[in-house]
Amino acid sequence: MGAWGFVSLAYGIVCAVILVYWIILKRRYRKVETELKHLQSEHTADSHETN
Amino acid sequence: MTPATPLKRRKGILGALAAMALTLALFWSLAVAPPDAFQGEVQRIMYLHLPSILTAYLSYFLVFVGSAMYLWKRERRDDLLAHAAAELGVLFTALTIIEGAIWGKPTWGVWWTWDARLTLTAILLLIYTGYLMLRSLIDDEQRAATAAAILGIIGFFDIPLIHMSVYWWRTLHQPPSILRPDKAPWENVHPAMLTALAISFVAFLLLYFYLLSLRYRVGEMRQEISALKLARGA
Repeated sequence: MGAWGFVSLAYGIVCAVILVYWIILKRRYRKVETELKHLQSEHTADSHETN
Repeated sequence: MTPATPLKRRKGILGALAAMALTLALFWSLAVAPPDAFQGEVQRIMYLHLPSILTAYLSYFLVFVGSAMYLWKRERRDDLLAHAAAELGVLFTALTIIEGAIWGKPTWGVWWTWDARLTLTAILLLIYTGYLMLRSLIDDEQRAATAAAILGIIGFFDIPLIHMSVYWWRTLHQPPSILRPDKAPWENVHPAMLTALAISFVAFLLLYFYLLSLRYRVGEMRQEISALKLARGA
């Protein structure tokens, strides 16, 4: 492999790893956000019923 | 459709800034910066390698601060910060080791060698991977946070060892290019290369704080979920 081959490999791996981590993190974020919103609306409905 | 909250908007701006800075850093590192007189084009890996490890060090410093604050004040937000920073620290340390291996092959002739600095960096990765595993192995959240905080503080002391390893032991790894006790960065690195390095470092920092804000919020929301579930169960 030539010098540019090693450079491309390093830059390619870094870009790919960061992109994959960002996608996974965004998914986790959306999943937890949805669950929280769902629970918050249920909680609000429960407290209205109690009142 | 619902409008974005100010917090989400700030995250979006930070993300956009990070993306722009990373694009500029890629262009500068690969097209503008000159090749090294001795190593040639392969030296361009330095513009990834150095910002990666400095970002990892910053992350472990936040783990250290968050852990110490948690043990002192017992506030969950400090533990959340330490946990989020540890995850990102592991990511950037793993990237540093991969970049180093790819740089090592054409310059040293090997992908890996049991050199003091490389070995200590691998130990750093193991310590904080252990930190993340420890958290998932202990069910009691408070006990997990306390045990992880102790490990987070102890692990941080590997960083000065890594930094000084090239002076204390005979190693294959070159001495620091930037954080040298005897020379200023501009005395050691050509200004054109230093500019590329500075742009890359700023881009990595912006990316880091963007990812950290997302990861921290995930932990915060998980806590709110646990509290709501507990309140419903009570």
